[in-house]
Amino acid sequence: MKIIKQAIAGTLESSDLMVKVAPSDNDSLDLVISSEVIKQFGQQIRLVVLDTLAKLDVSAGSVIIEDKGALDCAIRARVQTAVLRGAGSDELNWEQLS
Amino acid sequence: MSGEFDFYTVVPGEDQAETAEIQQFLSQCDLEMEGNIDLFVLAREQRRLIACAGLSTNIIKCVAIRPEYRGGAISLQLISEIVQLAAERGDFHLFLYTRPSGEAFFSGCGFYPLVEVPERIVLMESSPVAIQRYCQRLRQLRQPGAKIGCIVMNANPFTLGHRYLAEQAAAACDWLHVFVVSEDVSLFHYADRFRLVSQGLSGIGHLTLHHGSEYMISRATFPGYFLKEKGIVDHCHTAIDLLLFRQYFAPALGITHRFVGTEPFCQVTEKYNQDMKYWLQHAPSTAPAVAVVEVERCTQQGIPISASEVRRLLAVGALSQIKPLVPPSTLQLLVSDYATGTHG
Repeated sequence: MKIIKQAIAGTLESSDLMVKVAPSDNDSLDLVISSEVIKQFGQQIRLVVLDTLAKLDVSAGSVIIEDKGALDCAIRARVQTAVLRGAGSDELNWEQLS
Repeated sequence: MSGEFDFYTVVPGEDQAETAEIQQFLSQCDLEMEGNIDLFVLAREQRRLIACAGLSTNIIKCVAIRPEYRGGAISLQLISEIVQLAAERGDFHLFLYTRPSGEAFFSGCGFYPLVEVPERIVLMESSPVAIQRYCQRLRQLRQPGAKIGCIVMNANPFTLGHRYLAEQAAAACDWLHVFVVSEDVSLFHYADRFRLVSQGLSGIGHLTLHHGSEYMISRATFPGYFLKEKGIVDHCHTAIDLLLFRQYFAPALGITHRFVGTEPFCQVTEKYNQDMKYWLQHAPSTAPAVAVVEVERCTQQGIPISASEVRRLLAVGALSQIKPLVPPSTLQLLVSDYATGTHG
């Protein structure tokens, strides 16, 4: 999936996260994570986000995460939604995502 | 406090009673209702107004929360609501101003500080990386040399005065960077202004022409600039714009000197020039100082050439008097697209 426009998903509320995606200007994947629990869970969040992006076949774009202590399932859901919005698509291969 | 809030959007002025209520609420929180807010997000608990946040294009303003609710869940809900509202309107890159005491609050809401006027005001943006990415792109346009000059011009419209300033600056420097203010709220459209600058500066060597950005004399960094026809300038905001220049633009491009024309007519520009000397040269900062060079404006029959004078003459239809003040390309556009009668 290709991110063709800016999009957001999620909220800044506790146990949630806000995901902001934008097209890349140099065809690279640029992931920035900001979290109150970055020390404890930064690496885990990064793995979940990268895995979700890989399953969506996203290889380029700017992805910014504002995490408020979300669980992995919430992270996956918000990243998927943001990417779908950013790709201007409403078709998902659900099997691929599980 | 039930913790259940109703969030909804209002357009200021649509409902007089509610607008007055917001106004009163803001004044209780030591804030003023600003004039150019497109939308407010309100939060009510039952019928009581608990919090509000305003949106002026891509700038968040007038954020207020009832004291006893501060630090609770409502703050993050409120900022989420306003960020989503902006996104629905197509604005993803957001700015906000806050007192330094509010910086920690907004840092917890996905905003990152850009510059601070000590003890007065902080400008924040909704991205942890946008300014660095912008500076990275600028760094690729760096040019070698010991003396690197810069001019920021609105060129509304481009005159022989701009040409003269650029010639003087280019002659004094190893390289000259020229930025055109990109905010599209001036009489002349940005695309037109940029094209005329590009044509008007042709033949001057060692010069790079840049598009402006949201970080340079934009509605976000310097709202007062675009109100100057009304004579309103916010002193803090010249500082914000100039500190952005000193802390981000100048180091990225290696700019050592900034050139401006002396300003005999417009008080806002004159004030900007004066503030420039303080904030770029003298104010304490981690960034190196940038020398400000004021170049005496070139004159036409004893009268300094200025874009504001051209606009004044255009408004009264005195095209023949404009002719000696502008290059042929500008005159041609004035006649074809902007002469009185064709544009309202």
